[in-house]
Amino acid sequence: MSPNTREVLAVSGLSPEAAKLSRIWEWFVVAAVALLFMGAIHLHVMLSVGDWDMFVDWKDRQFWVLVTPVSMIMIPAALQGVFWHYFRLPIGATLGALLLIIAVWISRLVGWHLWGYFPFSMSIPATMLAGAMALDAILLIVRNPLLTATFGGFVFALLFYPSNWASLAPYFLAVEHQGMVASVADLIGYTFPRAGTPEYIRVIERGTLRTFEGTSVWVSTAFAGFLCIFMHMIWWRIGMAFSTQRFVPNGKRMRQMMGLN
Amino acid sequence: MTAITASGIAQKEERKPGYYVKFNLFALAIIIMAVMFAAFRLYQQAFAWESGLDATSPEFDKYWMTLVKIELPLFVLAWVVCWSYLWITRDRNLAALGPREELRRYFYFTFWLVAYTFAIYFIGSFFAEGDGVWHQTVIRDTSFTPSHNVLFYACIPTYIFFSVGGFLYAMTRLPAFSRGISVAHVLAVLGPVLILPNLGFNEWGHAYWMTEEIFSHPLHWGFVVLGWNALALPGVALQMIQRMVPLFQELFGEAQQQSA
Amino acid sequence: MRKWLSAGMAVIECFVGITLLGASATALAHGERAQEPYLRTRTTHWYDVTWSTDKVAVNEAITVTAKFRLFGDWPQAVDLPETVFVSNATPGPVFIRVESFLNGVPARQSFRDLEIGRDYEYKMVMKGRIPGRYHVHPMIAIKGSGPLVGPGKWVEITGSAADFSFPVTAISGEKIDNLETWGVADAIQWHIIWAVIAVLWVLWWIRRPLLIPRYLVLKKDREDLLTTNTDLIMGIVLLAVCMVLAFWSYFHVNAKYPRTVPLQAGMMYTPPLPLQQSPVNVRVTQAQYDVPGRSMRVAMDITNTSDKTLRIGEFATASIRFVNNNLPAALANIHPDFPRDLLARNGLQLSDDAPLAPGETRQIRFDATDAAWEIERLTSFLTDVDSKFGGLLFLFDQSGGRHIAEIGGPIIPVFRANQLALAQ
Repeated sequence: MSPNTREVLAVSGLSPEAAKLSRIWEWFVVAAVALLFMGAIHLHVMLSVGDWDMFVDWKDRQFWVLVTPVSMIMIPAALQGVFWHYFRLPIGATLGALLLIIAVWISRLVGWHLWGYFPFSMSIPATMLAGAMALDAILLIVRNPLLTATFGGFVFALLFYPSNWASLAPYFLAVEHQGMVASVADLIGYTFPRAGTPEYIRVIERGTLRTFEGTSVWVSTAFAGFLCIFMHMIWWRIGMAFSTQRFVPNGKRMRQMMGLN
Repeated sequence: MTAITASGIAQKEERKPGYYVKFNLFALAIIIMAVMFAAFRLYQQAFAWESGLDATSPEFDKYWMTLVKIELPLFVLAWVVCWSYLWITRDRNLAALGPREELRRYFYFTFWLVAYTFAIYFIGSFFAEGDGVWHQTVIRDTSFTPSHNVLFYACIPTYIFFSVGGFLYAMTRLPAFSRGISVAHVLAVLGPVLILPNLGFNEWGHAYWMTEEIFSHPLHWGFVVLGWNALALPGVALQMIQRMVPLFQELFGEAQQQSA
Repeated sequence: MRKWLSAGMAVIECFVGITLLGASATALAHGERAQEPYLRTRTTHWYDVTWSTDKVAVNEAITVTAKFRLFGDWPQAVDLPETVFVSNATPGPVFIRVESFLNGVPARQSFRDLEIGRDYEYKMVMKGRIPGRYHVHPMIAIKGSGPLVGPGKWVEITGSAADFSFPVTAISGEKIDNLETWGVADAIQWHIIWAVIAVLWVLWWIRRPLLIPRYLVLKKDREDLLTTNTDLIMGIVLLAVCMVLAFWSYFHVNAKYPRTVPLQAGMMYTPPLPLQQSPVNVRVTQAQYDVPGRSMRVAMDITNTSDKTLRIGEFATASIRFVNNNLPAALANIHPDFPRDLLARNGLQLSDDAPLAPGETRQIRFDATDAAWEIERLTSFLTDVDSKFGGLLFLFDQSGGRHIAEIGGPIIPVFRANQLALAQ
């Protein structure tokens, strides 16, 4: 046991037995948090930005770069709020991003690949881990929700594209298909048919008037950063609101039925 | 150390974690669920391609509609039996509940919540994305598919079993949760429960106007909002902490007392 | 690291192979039978559908060609074909698409502004990928409405899924051994790197007393114990690592792949096939669907507006073909490999099969009877909110030339036989 741990336990006032029981209880809570948020964050991402995340031929410069961080900061920011406010734990965002990527890869393997026979190359997910860890680190450093939102929220979005580009760049090589240019991602999406995904359904960049010599992705990133600042502020508060410890008094008759008067 | 009996500081045996943490039934529940979910997934692997592609075929009826006809009544029966049991066997004298038993019950309550979250993972993540897979395998026809028949009509009833069960357990066995209704607990239970009726809205939308498969379509955002209610479970944990701390003090005393 | 990832992938592929042994059984038609009759009889009418083979090995090609007419009396409930994608209806990626064309124009991208009442030519080249027996249909998808599926034929894919590969060479020279696995090991590697850092960060905190002790210490205003200077240093290091690694990986991969293109999103356009003037005017005077008798009976006034003598050779709707078995030219119009279950056994029964002279108007009734109506679930005429039918009439002139006319109108379900007595 480290000196810090000893001191924490001493100041907390927990006896050794209580500390042991508390620790056991914590492991069950860790299990519950992991399972719950693997389900909840995955469902949230799946149904808000799922298509961009599920398919490599949806990962464009305009929408994917914008909507994914905005969606993926929501629950992690709420978790950050709760973990920091009550426990001073700067792991909420990291945990959110980590649980998400684990849940997503399990689904890619067991669902898309083993059940649907879709290749992994079609369904490479994005990860928010870099931005989430930076967000937690910034919270630890500044110790203030407003500053965390302002700087951390922006950095969360800023790191999205560069940290994922290492995984995804190979899918944007140019190939020739039927006499036309395609990215490898386009070709994968075309080659392995998805019954519910005709090409036109992709919500992707369909042509811009000014793409700033191909730097449009950084424009999208900057906008995403701006939105993430406000998303973080809102969701920190949503997390705090959801963690209400309020009890509404039960009716007298109900209490009587349980022998409480 | 002075051993004081009854409601005072716990005796030697009663200071051991094993006295409070009795997880046999919990382990059984997890094992049963794990086996059930694995079985469903293997069933999908074996029969979805072979007989699940065409909702009009007799094979589909045999392997997939029979499944629904079995699982739905079974789960409803499980709900009724479990929840009635919890109510009928409620503690009718919570005012006299001792600290040892109360702490033990907080652990049982924790087990209910962990079992709930175990089921939530399989619905929110595992089988949910499987639904996406199936929608990219066959064009949409009816609301009964190899994916829906497992996700909607078996897995969702499973987490409802544990969420409502856990709520009833807390209300009938824990004074704090009986004296008052935990707002956070209501949200954490009600949110995901409402996903089942929200399916009605979802299928309505798909039947009448949204026939293309965009997972992030606004039609699905009802599920997203209901899923956010998972954030309420930390509130329940905090409520538990607020009662477990005085119980620890009552049973095991303060740390300063021990070192003195 | 890459070797371990490749080994891991090989294990996964073995598992896929083992499960496929159980799964490579008959796979049935999928979904088109659940589409409403108005969708199937009044939108796309597929004809001249051919499949180059009914058996391919993994990696071997099959070509599906067809023509389709976009029906003139387009249903209100279906969006106009302003954005269309040329596709195939096969279960998931059991076949891969190699190339596709609409009127000879490459069809990887979606098309804009297809025209109602006109014909288009469809071609799709696919290759086998996952062994099994599957129903293969041509299909188009219309934005806002979804897929419209053509007739299907059973095609068997033989061989082993593990043999499948799809090599491609990029324009800038990179060789892609297999499109299925390209880039996957690298992506997983990066995700593992980030995940390991994240796990270490989380472990740094959860190895210590986590909840109740921290809660109590915070309440006693001793948060200095909860986030120490060491923790702060670790946080700064973490922030630096994340920023540096993210941007280093970005520049590194850009140096490796300097020439990339964004997702291609342009739309294609093709004018329709040359307009085929309908050689007849058809006015449906009465149409019934005999539910117990599984028969569609139509009475029409038909006027030959061409300069050729014509006979009715075929009535086709929703992929079912009712052919006039007394007309050799109509029989010759049936491709020998066309799925027999979509050809009505009794064919098309006409009240008057005599040739229709130029300018002549005649009342003709036809009877299209087959169990296929029920099997294909087209009896749902009863539950449609728009009880109208549509179809194509194929007429043949004396030199065997084929002409196409559209036919359609309100239809009434009946439950007694012979209400509209026709050819005996």
